[in-house]
This record gives sequence, C-alpha cells and structure tokens, in this order.
Amino acid sequence: MTLSGALLAATLATPLAFAALCLLAPFRRRVFALLPLAPLPGLATALLAPGGSLLLAPAPLRLVLALDAPGAMLLGGASLLWSCAGLYAGSYMGARAGHTGFAVWWLLTLAGSLGVFIVADMTSFYLMFSLVSLAAYGLVAHEGTPAAERAGLAYMALALLGEAFLLFGFVLLATAGPNGNPLIADAVAMLDGSPWRAATLTLLILGFGLKMGLVPLHIWMPLAHPVAPMPASAVLSGIVVKAGVIGLIRFLPFDRAAPDWGTALAALGLFTAYYGVGVGITQRNPKTVLAYSTVSQMGLVAAIIGAGMAAGAADATRLAAYYGLHHLLVKGALFMGVGVVAATGARRRPLVLGVMAVMAFSLAGLPFTSGALAKYAAKAVLGEGATGTLATLSAAGSTLLMLHFLRLLAGISKARPQDRAPAGMVVPWLVAAFASFAVAWALFPQATGGGLAGVLAPAALWKATWPILLGLLLAPGLARWGARLPAIPEGDIAVLAERAGPAVRRFGHGVEWFDAAMRAWPVAGLALLAIVLALGALLALP
Amino acid sequence: MVGDALASSPGGYLLVLAVLVPVIGMLAMPVMGLLRVRHAASLAFATIAVGVAVVGAVGWRVVGSGEALVYGIGGWSPPLGLALRADGLSAVMMAMAALVIALVALYARPQFAAAETAPGGRRAFGFWALLMGLWSALNLAFVGEDLFNLFVALELLTFAAVPLVCLDGTAATLEAALRYLVFALVGSVLYLLGVAVLYARYGTLDIGLLHELAYPDFATHAAIALMIGGLMAKAALFPLHLWLPPAHAGAPAPASAVLSALVVKAPFFIIVRLWFDVLPGASHEAAARALAMLGAAAILVCSVVALRQARLKLMIAYSTVAQVGYLFLMFQLTIEPGVPAWATIGWTGGMLQLVSHALAKAAMFLAAGLIAEALGHDRIDELAGAGRAVPVSLFAFGLAGLSLMGLPPSGGFIAKLLLLSAATLSGAWWIAVVISVGGLLAAAYVTRVLKRAMAPPPEGIVTSPVARSRELAALALALCAVALGLVPLQPFDLLAIGRAGVALP
Repeated sequence: MTLSGALLAATLATPLAFAALCLLAPFRRRVFALLPLAPLPGLATALLAPGGSLLLAPAPLRLVLALDAPGAMLLGGASLLWSCAGLYAGSYMGARAGHTGFAVWWLLTLAGSLGVFIVADMTSFYLMFSLVSLAAYGLVAHEGTPAAERAGLAYMALALLGEAFLLFGFVLLATAGPNGNPLIADAVAMLDGSPWRAATLTLLILGFGLKMGLVPLHIWMPLAHPVAPMPASAVLSGIVVKAGVIGLIRFLPFDRAAPDWGTALAALGLFTAYYGVGVGITQRNPKTVLAYSTVSQMGLVAAIIGAGMAAGAADATRLAAYYGLHHLLVKGALFMGVGVVAATGARRRPLVLGVMAVMAFSLAGLPFTSGALAKYAAKAVLGEGATGTLATLSAAGSTLLMLHFLRLLAGISKARPQDRAPAGMVVPWLVAAFASFAVAWALFPQATGGGLAGVLAPAALWKATWPILLGLLLAPGLARWGARLPAIPEGDIAVLAERAGPAVRRFGHGVEWFDAAMRAWPVAGLALLAIVLALGALLALP
Repeated sequence: MVGDALASSPGGYLLVLAVLVPVIGMLAMPVMGLLRVRHAASLAFATIAVGVAVVGAVGWRVVGSGEALVYGIGGWSPPLGLALRADGLSAVMMAMAALVIALVALYARPQFAAAETAPGGRRAFGFWALLMGLWSALNLAFVGEDLFNLFVALELLTFAAVPLVCLDGTAATLEAALRYLVFALVGSVLYLLGVAVLYARYGTLDIGLLHELAYPDFATHAAIALMIGGLMAKAALFPLHLWLPPAHAGAPAPASAVLSALVVKAPFFIIVRLWFDVLPGASHEAAARALAMLGAAAILVCSVVALRQARLKLMIAYSTVAQVGYLFLMFQLTIEPGVPAWATIGWTGGMLQLVSHALAKAAMFLAAGLIAEALGHDRIDELAGAGRAVPVSLFAFGLAGLSLMGLPPSGGFIAKLLLLSAATLSGAWWIAVVISVGGLLAAAYVTRVLKRAMAPPPEGIVTSPVARSRELAALALALCAVALGLVPLQPFDLLAIGRAGVALP
C-alpha cells in the first residue's frame, strides 16, 4: 500500500475506530479530549495525497477511494474545521456529563462527511452520504428540547426523502451504464446516452440540493442549526451541507455544454440566494440568521455549478469547491463565534465583535478576505451576463443580512463585564477565522490557475466593494422599518407542511379502516375467490 | 422408460436426512424419559447440531459440484417414485432456515427450559417438539419435487405453526390460532384441488416431468391459479392477511420470529416453483403484473397500518405483511426478453429480499420480545427507558430496522437496489416508486420505535433483567442481515445453480 493509500484509509478508519472504541469505558471518559485528533489523518491526506487512490475491495464489489482537486480542498477545510470544532466541543460540552452519545454521533458524522470527499465508486458514495446524513440527526436532536425534537423530525424526514431521491437517481445512472458498481466518473460519462437522462438529473439535483438547502428543500436548515449545540451547528452548517456540494460536483456532467439543465440549476441557485436573504432578515435569533445565510450561500454555489454545467466548463467544479471551502471555514468560525460572544463580557466584547464583523463581511466579499477571493474566482464561470450580475448583487443582500446578524449578536451576551470566554472556545474559533484567510490565499492560484495580481487590481477591489456599500446604504432602512416586516417563523414553509398534519392523520385513519375492512372474514373469502378467478383468467390470456 | 434415468446424485441421501433428522428429534421427545433425558431442550439442541451439519453438507455439495443434488426415494424415479432435489436456491433456503432455527433456539432456551414434569414443562415440551416439526416441514418444502409431497410439507408446517401461536393458551391467542388454522385450511383445499386437476391431466405430480409435459390449456391454468391462490392465503399476501397480525403478534417471541421469518416463506417458495418451473407458455405478463400489484398494495397499505400500531409486536407483524409484498414484485421484475428468469437481477433481488427479511425480521421479533420482557409491556408510546434497560436488544432492533428500511450496509439495501434496478430496466416505474415509498414508510415506523425507546427512562420505572445470551442471539441474526449487504450487485450465480436443467425448453 502506498503512503497516499494508507492516508486515505486512515482518514476513514480513524473516526470509525474512535466511535467503536467508545464501547470501552476508559476511552469513553476521555473521548471529548480526543475529538480534535480524529480528523487529523484527513488533514494529512488533503495535504499529502491529492491524486492518490486505493482499491479497498476488488471487483465486483469494487470499493475505491481516490482524492481529486475539488475533493482535496473540501477534505482539507473540513478536517481542519472538524478538529477546531472538536476542541471547541470539549470546552463547550465536556463539562456536562453523559454526552458519550453526542461524541459517537459526532465521530460517525465526521467519518461520513470526510468519506464523501474521498470515495470514487457509487456504492461507497451512497454509504458515506447516508452515514453523514443520518448520523447528523444525533447532533440536531441532541438537546432533547421540544424544538430540537421538531427539528430532528423535520431533519430525519427530509434526509430520508433525500436518500430515496438519490438511490433512485443512482439506480438510473448505474442501470444506464455498465453492470455492478461503477466508478462515479464512468457512470456520469454514460449519462449523455441514457434514456433516463432527464429523470436522473432531476433526482440527483433534488437529492443533493436538499442537503445543500436549495429552496424549497431548505427547511431543515433553519430548524436544525439554531437548536443544535454550538459546535454541532458549526459542523452542520459548515461541513455537512458540503456533502451536497461534492455530490453535485461529482455527479453532474461538465464535459459537454448543457444549457438547459445548467441554466435551470443556476436559476434555482440564485433564487435560493435571494430567498435566504429575504427570509433571513426577518429572523430574531442570530443562529437562525446564520442558517438562512448558509441557505443563501449554498444557492450561490449551486449557481456556480449550474453556470459551469451550462457552459460545459469543468473548472467550475474546482471553483465551486473553492467557494465551498471559503464558506466552510467562515461559517464554522461564525457559529463558534456566537458561543464566544455569548460568554464574553462587555470589556472584551468589541474586540470579539470586530473579528466577527470581518468574518461576517467575508461572506459578502469584503476585499482581502476569503470571500473576495472566492467571489472573484467564481466570476470566471458566472460571467458578466445576467447570472454574473445577479450573483454580484446578492452580495448586497448578504451585507444586509450580516449587519442584521451583527446587530442581533451584539445583544445576546448575558456575561458579566469582566468575563472572558474559555480558551478552549476562543482558540479554535480564532484558528478557523485565521485559516479562512490563510487557506484561501494559499489555494487561490491552484483553484483559478491564475495569479493573485488580478484580485488586487483596483478594478477588482471596487467590484468587490460596491455591493457592500449598496448593502450599507440599504441597512438604515432595514433598521428603521425592519420591525414592520412580517415575522416569518423559523423554517418558513415548514409551517405549511405542518398544517397538513390533520389531513395526513385522516388519511392514515382511512387506510387503517380499509385494512380492517379487508380483514373481515366475508371480504377476505371473497377476495380469495376473486383472486383465483382473476389469476386463472389472466393466465389463460394469450 | 424413465425408470433409472434419474439416478440419485452422490450424497443425495443428505436431503432425506435434512427432512428426517428433525422428525427423529421430535419423535424422541415423548420417549426421552427412557433415554434418561430430562429436558426437551437438550434433545432439540442435539438435533439442531446434527441438522445444521446436514444442511451445511448439502450446501457444500451443491456449491462444490455446481449442480443440483437429487435423490429418488427408494431408488425409484418419477413418475413411479418421489424425488427430492436441492438446487442452489433450495440450498440457500435451507441454510437460511437452519441459521434462524439455531439462533432462535439459543434465544428460547432460558425461556423454555423447564423439565417436563416441572410447572410450564408441557409448554416447553410443546415448543421444542413443534419447532423440530416445523423445521422438518420447511426442509421438505424446500427440497420436495412432487406437488403432493409439497402438500404434505405445507400441512405439516401448518399443524406445527398453529399450536405455536397459542402456546400461551390465552383466549386471544386461541382465537388467533383458530383464525390461522381455518384460513390455512382453505388455502390447503384450494392447493389440493389444483393438484388433483394436474394429476388428472398429466398423470404425474413431479415438477421436473410437469415442466416437460405441461402445455397451456384451460385445465392447467385453472389448476395453477387454484394452487397459487391457496398458497397466497398461506403466505398472507394482502388482502389475504387477516390471520397474520393477531397470530404473529400473539405467539411467544421466538415462535413469532420463526413464523414471520420462515413459515410464510415456504408457500411463497412453492409459488416460485410453480410459476417458473411448472407454468407452461410465455412470460404471462398480465398475471405477473396482477401479482405485483397485490404486492404493491401490501407494501403501501400495511406499512401505513404498521405506522399506526400502538403495540410493538403488532407493528412488526404488519411490517411482515408489507415485506411479503416486496416478494411478489419479483414476478414482474424477472421478465426480461431472451434471459431466463434466474439470470435477471430481479430474481437475485427478490431472493435476497426473502433471505434478508427472514434474518432481519427474526432479529426484530427476538429483540422486541426482550424489550417487552424488560419493560413488562410492548406499548410503543411507553417504550422510554428501553435503551437503558436492554441496549444490546435495541441495537439489534436498529440494525434489523436498517435492513427493513433498505439503508446501507444491509441485505435489505442490496435487495432494494436490485429490485429498483430491475424495475427501471423493465420500465415498470410504478414499482420503483412503490419500492421507494415503502422504504420511507419502513423508515418511519422503525425510527418511531427507536426514538421512543432511546428516550430517558421515566421516574420510578422498574425493569427486569434479561439473559445476555438471548440478547446476543438477536444481535447475531441482525448482524447476519447486515452482512448480506456485502453481496455484490449483480445476478448471483449461487441462486442459478441447478436451474439450467429446467431451463427454457
């Protein structure tokens, strides 16, 4: 086994082994201290093993691990954030007893979320995707409050629905191609000739879009992110949603221009980008605002992927991953920061809020931040047309949303003036915030294939700045009249779905009544007779 | 003359042993006093050890030679004699039955340990004797080649299964058992009627000979419709399931496990034999679609009803009716022009569904039995605390649930994937939708239980301990269901062994 193969295997094996070791009491007691170590092999893999691959099981099972450029970017960022969030969790949750269950769900989600970045065959991808989807339920529902129960239910229902979409899509994809368990790339290459191309693409976009939070399948995010413990929100919003991003990157065809599907996906993404802002500014909980911001940002990623698909531009995958990496680190830092702000007293709060403001405006593309780099890079795919303009304008919306977030954030701390947040929370938060700069600058040439000169040119700086200024201009209006906006409940249209509850119960009752009627002796006897006669007649048909 | 054309294959006697060993064990039980054995359980375990070895040898021979194992009883070949035959499919069924019976026996041992003279001794004696009778009947149903011989197997199966239902002797279980008995007898009558018509028409009941002789005419079609109708009643295909929920929910947990995992599979297996080996003529698409539609109705209706049950065991019983529905999708999904049915992925998918359901459902019933024992009830709404009281059982329940939901890694997942692929390939979109919706409903009813059971226990809850060995038996079955998830995604050669001989004429 080569070094890269060993690293790939260790990426998956380490968190799984940690989860299994939780069966042993001594390990269980120390598990929170060990959480930051579990993703480190993943980090090493992202740094040392791009291009590597490993055959886990030969044909016909054919389980293959492999790391390509988009996978390496997301894997590295995700491992780093998992490690930071693990440290943060040790400080945030470790003091409270009886959290072994949380640690196990954490490790399983971790294994699945890193797994989706490094698997190359369809069965393994489905397995890893299911693992991250289903294990994250434990993080969402951890608090056990009624709100967490409701969020957990919505999350589980949608996750399972997404699984069903994906499974069906995968079956269509694999049936059109060679037998057995094909590599993702081979199966996608067959898609063009498939008689079920439209159905396959629809199902894949539904399944992965649900994980990314594309409207109208976004409702789990604003329900789940606010109720989960702080470090769990950071990884849910930062990392788990990226399983959808890597899914679209891996499973959509970019080798030939597909204007119809690409434009449709881009339109859906842009709509989501604005929708997230529109609903987000009516929210009152800073974590919910961040959740809607994730919805909005993932809409932009979908727009990048859609535009790339429309143009048949394969670099779109790398650019989408780069944007995803930026969002991953920034959003992780923002969620961890909410906990830091809440624990920080008035004396140190301006400093903390200052860092948070930089992170928040990074999402809007503040010059010199990772956001500016990611948005500049994405221009290559989004272009200067309607898609590009709408994407640029959405930064003004993000500015508005982030100002709203910062205003709410300033008011949440109940700490005494001289209080300071524990180092176990501050350090990982700062590491993630710093990493968003360092990683974005370091990877920019690799992601775009160009130098850094362009992004520092005055024209580019102005392009990044004016949407923010526009947002700042609009902000006083929101501050003045924001209170008059309708109070949209968290999860907006989830409320409509819940209103259908009585009808669903009536339907269930009806089915039960039908079953009871069929189980009556005379009915069953007649049914048996009818079945025999019908079967005889049907068999005799020529 | 076909007289000696059909010589028994070497080792063919193993098939007779597979049927006879459990019977010998059962017959030894009434006279065990003379053998200085005090516990029926001990005899049963000795029998199971021998029986498992015999089934293992059958499997080894079939896989090793790549051919079916045949035995002509008394050296006579059909039509004069009776033949027993085990192809790859039969070997898989026998292995499944042996595995389930052995683990259920391990589970049941502490529950039915009383010596014959002790209180509860009659009940224990009855359980072990009936279990052995049932096993023999299953093996006979899996290797029988003669349609009347199969009738005998079905009757033996019914007469062993019905008393298992009312082992507790309460009024409710007696009523459930009676219901089961009457409906099973109606099914038997229909089957027998069909057998009579076929015998009158062709003068033989050997499946191999019928395969060559039968031609599509009214009498043949009528006979097969009668037989399949009767077998459907015994397999509890919706809407003929009136007997199953009370019977499977009322029986003691190990009996429920065997009933749900194995007993409903035998009539289904015989339907498969009739459909693919006897039924003359082309693929019968219309009839296959009718069967698939009944299966789809079973999946949709009974999954919803399962979701609304208040009692854990009733929920699992309804889940069985729904899962039986998946099996009947197979008839439409094995139609592929120019390809024999057993080389399609629909065939592998259907059979994998059968086996993985058997393992998962047995595990689920055993786990539910332990949960009920620990808490003293099985009301789903009040399961809180089960996770603390019997964690291993709940884990087994969850793993089995994984297979029922069709989530990876599990046999149920691979089966669902293969059936979905087959539905796509044959253009039967509605089947693909039903399979997906059925998976979602299964997920709903399984997670409903898991969620309640993992909630923290209420104040003042009293739980009774259960034996660890019993929890491990349930877990072992669930792990087997999960391990089936490692089967590769393609037509599986083992299931086609020995079928080339009865291939397309």
